[in-house]
Amino acid sequence: MMKKNGTGWLFASPYLLYGIIFFAVPLIWSLYLSMTDWNLISPVYNFKGIDNFIEAVKHPGVQAAFFVTFKFMAAFVPMVIVSSTLVALVIHGLPKFKGLFLIGFFLPYLASGVVSSLIVKGLLSQNSALNVFLRGIGIDIDWLSTPLSALLVVAAIIAWKFTGYYALILTAGFESISKDVYEAAAIDGVSSSQRFWKITLPLLYPALFTVLILSIGVSFGIFTEVYQLTGGGPNYATNTWQMEIFKQAFTNLSAGYASAVAIIASIVTFAAILIIRKLLEIWGKRNGWV
Amino acid sequence: MKFKKTASLILTALLAASALAGCSKGDGKSADGKTTIEFWAAPNPTQQVYWKEMAKEFEKKNPKIDVKVSPIKESPTSEASIQSAIAGKSAPTMSENINRGFAAQLAESKALVPLNEIEGWDKLIKKRNMTDTIKTWKFSDDNQYVMPIYSNPMLFGWRIDVLKELGYNEPPKTYSEVIDVTKKLKAKYPDKYLWAKGDLADPTAWKRWFDFFMLYDAASNGNNFIEGDKFVAKDKAGEEVLKFMDDLRKEDGLLTKQATDPFESALGIFTDLGPWTFSYWEEKFPEMKYNKNFALSLPPVPDGQSTKNVNTFADTKGIVVYASATEDERKAAMKFMNFVYSNPENDLKWLETTKLPPARDDLSSNESFKAFFDKNPELKPYAEAVPNAIPAIDNAKFNELQTHIGRLAVNPVVKGEVDPEKGWKEMKKAIKEELKK
Repeated sequence: MMKKNGTGWLFASPYLLYGIIFFAVPLIWSLYLSMTDWNLISPVYNFKGIDNFIEAVKHPGVQAAFFVTFKFMAAFVPMVIVSSTLVALVIHGLPKFKGLFLIGFFLPYLASGVVSSLIVKGLLSQNSALNVFLRGIGIDIDWLSTPLSALLVVAAIIAWKFTGYYALILTAGFESISKDVYEAAAIDGVSSSQRFWKITLPLLYPALFTVLILSIGVSFGIFTEVYQLTGGGPNYATNTWQMEIFKQAFTNLSAGYASAVAIIASIVTFAAILIIRKLLEIWGKRNGWV
Repeated sequence: MKFKKTASLILTALLAASALAGCSKGDGKSADGKTTIEFWAAPNPTQQVYWKEMAKEFEKKNPKIDVKVSPIKESPTSEASIQSAIAGKSAPTMSENINRGFAAQLAESKALVPLNEIEGWDKLIKKRNMTDTIKTWKFSDDNQYVMPIYSNPMLFGWRIDVLKELGYNEPPKTYSEVIDVTKKLKAKYPDKYLWAKGDLADPTAWKRWFDFFMLYDAASNGNNFIEGDKFVAKDKAGEEVLKFMDDLRKEDGLLTKQATDPFESALGIFTDLGPWTFSYWEEKFPEMKYNKNFALSLPPVPDGQSTKNVNTFADTKGIVVYASATEDERKAAMKFMNFVYSNPENDLKWLETTKLPPARDDLSSNESFKAFFDKNPELKPYAEAVPNAIPAIDNAKFNELQTHIGRLAVNPVVKGEVDPEKGWKEMKKAIKEELKK
């Protein structure tokens, strides 16, 4: 059997090797570390059983990371879905140069998170033109030190970054809807809202489903923007899983504890994506879109 | 057949690798008897140039030792890179740019060599004239893990041009004097602040070195904050510092929102200043001139306290030798340090290149540095303050401890969310619990 499928195994081997080296081994190592008090440096460390996990669930930083991720999701996912759909709609309607515009919108995805965060930091500083103008009309916001605005600012930067990428997927979705369907609907006297709910949304659903799942996944991996702009503050209001893991592993030198946090984070991420995915599938099935 | 071919190829590769590895004798010496030491320097071009030059001169006089200088990677921070290197068993022989807190973390994990155990340490201290400076560097286990390169007493900068407009010819020295300045400033310029610093509201641990610790070291006359695993901070001094911050807030003297170049634009007229700022100003703000539009002073102190010999926080960094270094490498590393620091000219070169004050007792009196300070008068107050500068706490948990200072005391006080006494009490409780863990 093995001999028969030799070619298949050969072709799969690079990925398998990659998976073993960069996924399976680190995962097993991380599981082991999570039960120790190793600090990455010391040659001596102790077995702690599940103590790290108990300590982690009680820690305000970890508790904040759990809720902050869902808050980011609640802000970022609608933002990016709306913006990428709008961009996709505009590009879909263009008679020419669709590719060129798509590349333009895709560029922020390639931009460094550090650079974009620093630009935003400058834009939101107290003496920036924007804030001077806002204060002139009576609006004075402490953007990065107020929990809600700090969260929204980070969500907006990430939404800006991913809009072009998701617009690419959604444009492909729009392009795949045949014009004949709309023409037939127009002959039958279908209204524009019916056209959206009965034609566009069902036929766009596969692309939308992909974008939704991808964007939910992004919510669990936010780091650079938070690290650069807020450091997880004010008072843990933007403390994400990655931020907490980084702080514990590399600032506090608690690699064992950080591994436990990472494992909790991956379980939460896996469970949340699984549940949301199921809900989306049920939504699609109930409406007869899949 | 194919299997045999593959196996023989792998075997050949393994043998070749073993043969190559054999060239090194495992004691840090190569086959030709040369000892190679790897030196990781701070990742900035000026320090790279300095250390490469030092290594070249050293190698000329010590042909049996090679010093390989390379920058510490910052992925994402230099500390993280060092930790990864130690974990991956690829740590260098020695590195610079290590602060006392990080050194304490490394020392606790036995990743550093106590320098006082390597032959040549005492000679180094004597030759560099740093007997007094090194005293405050002793770790709680009585060892010296860091050879301090520079000891930079942090000073406060004042916009002297604005102060003069308010009727002051020199910076205020006590808390009540500072509050008076704030009142006059707000009366004349309601849009300006005394202290415009977004970091006051940021809990990141290291940020406390440049606000809380400067004021605490001054208010407590340099009393330690932590000794070993004990919280020994003076409650009165700590509460007074927080109350001072709270009073400034009440006078609308604090701006805790992020602002671009607040001191340079005179949005704020008071800020912590390190000597590195002046090179940056030369390029970006050439209009900033010492004693024309800015002045330097030691931290203000509580009313009734002496304003002479005021203590302040010392931003200090130095060289460490890693425990993975062989005996020969350790000896070579000490020889290299002795070479660099036995000649004041090398410290002068450092000073000229980086503007960071070398950690030596005679900085303000040694003739070698006189011409430099005459040419750079703004750096003289730093040199004079070296003996009164207190380095960072040497507890391995300094990150957690300083995060508590920010999160529970400084940040909520400057925002008016907690009163100073309660903030201090909660911070103290959290720190004590952390130290017990």
